[in-house]
Amino acid sequence: MFIKNAWYVAATAAEVQDKPLGRTICGEPMVLYRGEANKVAALEDFCPHRGAPLSLGKVCNGKLVCGYHGLEMGCDGKTVSMPGQRVRGFPAIRSFAAVERYGFIWVWPGDVAEADESKLPVFEFFDNPQWAYGGGLYHIQCNYKLMIDNLMDLTHETYVHSNSIGQKEIDEVPCTTKVEGDHVVTSRFMENIEAPPFWKMALRHNNLADDVPVDRWQICHFTPPSHVMIEVGVAHAGKGGYDAPDESKVYSMVVDFITPETETSILYFWGMARKFQPQNAELTDAIREGQGKIFAEDLDMLERQQRNLTRYPDRALLMLNIDAGGVQSRRVIERLLTQENNGVAA
Amino acid sequence: MSDHMNEGASAPVGPDGVFTLSLVKSGKQLQVPADQTALQVLESAGIDVPMSCGQGICGTCLTRVVGGVPDHRDMYLSGEEQDANDQFTPCCSRSKTAVLMLDL
Repeated sequence: MFIKNAWYVAATAAEVQDKPLGRTICGEPMVLYRGEANKVAALEDFCPHRGAPLSLGKVCNGKLVCGYHGLEMGCDGKTVSMPGQRVRGFPAIRSFAAVERYGFIWVWPGDVAEADESKLPVFEFFDNPQWAYGGGLYHIQCNYKLMIDNLMDLTHETYVHSNSIGQKEIDEVPCTTKVEGDHVVTSRFMENIEAPPFWKMALRHNNLADDVPVDRWQICHFTPPSHVMIEVGVAHAGKGGYDAPDESKVYSMVVDFITPETETSILYFWGMARKFQPQNAELTDAIREGQGKIFAEDLDMLERQQRNLTRYPDRALLMLNIDAGGVQSRRVIERLLTQENNGVAA
Repeated sequence: MSDHMNEGASAPVGPDGVFTLSLVKSGKQLQVPADQTALQVLESAGIDVPMSCGQGICGTCLTRVVGGVPDHRDMYLSGEEQDANDQFTPCCSRSKTAVLMLDL
């Protein structure tokens, strides 16, 4: 079950250029493409003629042309033309609301009449010269809630990411979780510790000593339907930690857009927005490469975990103090799902 | 063409929607009940009419009308073509007159 009346990241803007792209979002197979004036469109990936996937076609003059028999589809889901045919009576296919923002293609897999651009999340770090962003996409065979659990409980870093961002102190310092409406926040503040390798690298790039003790923070924000933003950083110890002046710290936002594909697969758009050295493109590439390697370490764990859960669907799992962030996020999702399925607008 | 048929081709169809197909080439008279399409009746009578979509979209079954007024229910013909009443799609269209005369 997915929250359908919500915006999800379906692709990066770069993935949808001159060719159509097939993607399944919340169980809905879609074709994404750029129509007239380069405007993005999302339609059911189903030609009304013989059921061919339209994503195997091409885009000509802003029209999506089926790759099987040349049916020309409009972005409203109505057939425009087809060689040798009169198309007036062709049944329309479903069209989905689609918007390009922040370098991503966002789609609303639910009721198109409910789609509202003002409900798109707002992020200060995109399209902002004070910030730089780099990221990637992983296709992972697990339920989206397992990814949310993973990101709302960073104690796994000590074990899964022991060579980069993990360190024993994450385990030793308890986290606190609070819920404000639909927003779940899990925070952990570690004081006077050694910076792990990733943050030593970041300190050096910001011309800060990497061999002195630091204060480190991780503040995980879940918002529906399935976005997790994590404020992360280190400051030279004793300078105020999270509130230290910019010249004593390095910090960034881990950006996680988790888009359910099926009940057991996700499109995971990960990235990092940073407020230090934003003009340094080499640093952006280096961080993207490093983050990509670190996040790849989660894939095997999540996929094998999903296989275990599929094999034993009724087996009860433990929810410990470290799991509060994931548990509360799941409660928000359940509440919104119930509302949506009872016909209450979000 | 018998007087009886000419009469039927100008008389309106009854409230039950039942009408007669009068096939001028083969001389057959076929009744189309309310729960069957003209195409089904033609096929049952062994008259081969090419067809494809079965819902008035593709135009494959288009058949020439030589008398009577079709009740056009297709989405293939333009309004102008429908108004000419010289062809219809037997897969979904019916008759406004008690008798529809076809060039079959």
